[in-house]
Amino acid sequence: MEEVNTGDLTFTLDLSKPLWGQVLHQIRGAVARSDLQPGDKIPSLRDLAQQLKINPNTVMRAYQELERDGLTETRRGQGTFITSSQQKISDVKKLLAGEAAKEFMLAMKTLGVSKKDACTLLEEAKWS
Amino acid sequence: MMAVNLENATKAYGSQRALDSLTLGLPEGQVTGILGPNGAGKSTLFKAIIGLVKLDAGSVRVLDGSPSWKTNGQISYLSDQCRWYGSHTVRQAIDYAAAVFPHFDQERARELAEFMRLKNDAIVRTLSRGEEARLKLIICLARDVRLMLLDEPFSGIDLVSREKIIQGLIESFAERKQTIIISTHEIREAESLFDQVAFIDQGQVVLAGEVEALRQEKGSLESIYRGLFQ
Repeated sequence: MEEVNTGDLTFTLDLSKPLWGQVLHQIRGAVARSDLQPGDKIPSLRDLAQQLKINPNTVMRAYQELERDGLTETRRGQGTFITSSQQKISDVKKLLAGEAAKEFMLAMKTLGVSKKDACTLLEEAKWS
Repeated sequence: MMAVNLENATKAYGSQRALDSLTLGLPEGQVTGILGPNGAGKSTLFKAIIGLVKLDAGSVRVLDGSPSWKTNGQISYLSDQCRWYGSHTVRQAIDYAAAVFPHFDQERARELAEFMRLKNDAIVRTLSRGEEARLKLIICLARDVRLMLLDEPFSGIDLVSREKIIQGLIESFAERKQTIIISTHEIREAESLFDQVAFIDQGQVVLAGEVEALRQEKGSLESIYRGLFQ
C-alpha cells in the first residue's frame, strides 16, 4: 500500500481490493471530514488517474458514482466540484458513520462482547 | 464489442505447442493485460493477431477481419525486435516514423516525448535501455489507430523509465480510448492499468476476466499470479 497526496486529498490504494470503490470511499471520507469543502474542485479524471497511476476508467467509475449520489457536480468546461448542498453532505456523513458503527459492531461480535456491554464501552469511552 | 477474438488458436513449433487451443476475446476500448511466465505463448499470441504467425488450427479475428495488411494498418505493434537508426536523433526517429507509419500523429509524438522526458536531440545510439523503451512506446502511442499491441513494454528497464512509460500509457488512454493489449510478467507496477486480464500458461488461458471483479473475488493480480504459477 502506498500513500499518494494530491493537494487536499490523500489516497491509499490496496491492490487486493477493487480500486474504484477505494477512490470513491476516500473522496466521500474527505467530504465527510471537511477536508473537501462545498464548492471545492476535485482533480480532473486524467489528473487523478495520472497521480494514482491507475486506469482512467477506474477513476471514471468512482466519479460517476459520486455524481449519482449528488455529492459532486460537473460544470461543463470547468471541472467537477463538491456539491454545495448541506443535505447531501450530511447524507454522506450518515452513510460513513453507519459503516463505522457496523465495523465496530462486527469487531465486538468477533470478540464475543454483547450489545449491552459494547454500549457501556461506548458510554465509557473518552470522546474528547 | 471485441477488438480481437481467438478461437481454439493452435500453433506448434516442432513438438512444442506455443498456442494450444487458446480461446480469448479482447474487448474494444479497454486495456487488457496478458500475463504469464516467459514462454507461455504471449508473443506468439501477438504475432498471430498481426498475421506474422499462421495458425495450425483455430481462428483469429481482428477488428472484424482476418489478419491482413489492411487490419495491420489499424494496429500499432511494439515488440523487442524493433530498432531505430542509431545515428538518428529522437526528433529524426519520430520524423522517420511519421514517414513510414500510417496514421502517425507527429504533434502527439512530440507531446508524448516531452511528457515522458525524452530529449529531442538525444542520439538514439546513446540512449539507455529505458530511454530506448520510452522512444519505442512514444512511436507506438503516437499512431491514431484502433488497436495497440505492446509486447513486454516494461521488461528489463529501470524504475524511472517504467514509471514514465506507465504515465505515458495513462495519458494516451485518457486522451483517446484505444484498445490496448499489454503483455508482461512484471505485474506489480502494471496491474492498476488493466481493465481486463488474461493469465496464460503453456499456450492456454488459465484465467481471464474483469480485473476489479477478480480483485473483489481473489485479491491482487500479483497474488493471483503467484497462486497460479508458483
